[in-house]
Amino acid sequence: MDGSIFSYGFQYGGMLIEAALIIYVVQSSHRNRPSSVLLYLCCLLASGVARSYTLHRFGYRSTQYSYVYFATDFPLVISALFLVCLFFRRACLHQEKMWRYVRLWLTFICVMVVGISGLFFSHHYGNVLTDFYVEFSQNVYFTCLVLNTLLYLLLQQIDSADDQLGLLVCGVGIQFAGPAATLALLKLTANEIFAQSLNSLVQRICTLGMLLVWAYAIVHVRGKAIQVTRREIPVLAEVTGHLNI
Amino acid sequence: MILAALVLILSTAMFFFYFQVTCQKILRRQFDREYFQSIVNANRLEFPSLRKSLEEFGAPVDYPRLRMMLKCDFLALTYLLKNAANLNQRYSNEERLLILYFRWQFLSLAVRRLLKVGEKKAILRLTSVLQYFANVVGQRVNTVRFGNLTVADYLLNL
Repeated sequence: MDGSIFSYGFQYGGMLIEAALIIYVVQSSHRNRPSSVLLYLCCLLASGVARSYTLHRFGYRSTQYSYVYFATDFPLVISALFLVCLFFRRACLHQEKMWRYVRLWLTFICVMVVGISGLFFSHHYGNVLTDFYVEFSQNVYFTCLVLNTLLYLLLQQIDSADDQLGLLVCGVGIQFAGPAATLALLKLTANEIFAQSLNSLVQRICTLGMLLVWAYAIVHVRGKAIQVTRREIPVLAEVTGHLNI
Repeated sequence: MILAALVLILSTAMFFFYFQVTCQKILRRQFDREYFQSIVNANRLEFPSLRKSLEEFGAPVDYPRLRMMLKCDFLALTYLLKNAANLNQRYSNEERLLILYFRWQFLSLAVRRLLKVGEKKAILRLTSVLQYFANVVGQRVNTVRFGNLTVADYLLNL
């Protein structure tokens, strides 16, 4: 009972924050509006509303709920992958050469994920909604997590001054790491009830965590999003100038 | 099965990594001046002297006292965060996250102490959280004291 209250609290709290963030981002007249975040937030909110409605109307054990759950989860997972790709684009905004290289790798990784999942699908054709879904989601979440970590390292490498992007990336890391771990646990324990409830709870907590970090990033750190690399202080030039005088 | 176990271990590690990085990014916030000094003086907090001694002389000797100092400062600052010049009388989201981070680092300090690995790093992280809290409290107090006060209002109140 307590678990379900917490779970509902996290779910509806998350939906409220999603709606508030969407309104805030849409209303802000900031030039560098994070549209990739907006897109993902819309997907999250739409899937949350659809799931809640079906849950209340048909119940947790109904076929309708499971169909709606999987139907909304698929675009959610794909949009997550898309979000990370857009973050890569933002990180390489002023570095076209690097972006060309990164784009090639991103395409290759996406093809790899689809290929591996397709291979698994061909072996588990009868259990699309259980085995295939868990495998596919775990693969995509883990891929997003790895890509996100690579993006974080890239930001450190290029010494990016885009603090907002740094925090957005951290939020995404929290969102993907939790579900990837619990989905793997689900697979290891062969869908144990404990693992199922843990998975559901962790997903909601991680989503809420990501939303709070994003809210902080969008509201407090939005002004610094335009700069891409840190401005270097021309120490040498100053010294030379001084000597000339 | 091996792949799933690998995913589980790596994902869990990455979760904690991102949690830590997020907290450190929040802690890196620049304040327009050092507000924490006045709060430290007014409440006789000990974390700046602790950090100074750690940076100058290496690891502290008296571990139980160190724990007590950090805990007392943390309790005082979290109380002030909630009650001093705070109209809502509650923590903000980033403060909640940092409180969680402090508790996590406090636990990690005990483990590091046991293993004798990176103890100094954990103490410095703990003091940086305390400094952030003191800065936030100092900034709030400063805003309330001088927020809507013009020079004429100030002189009239004297």
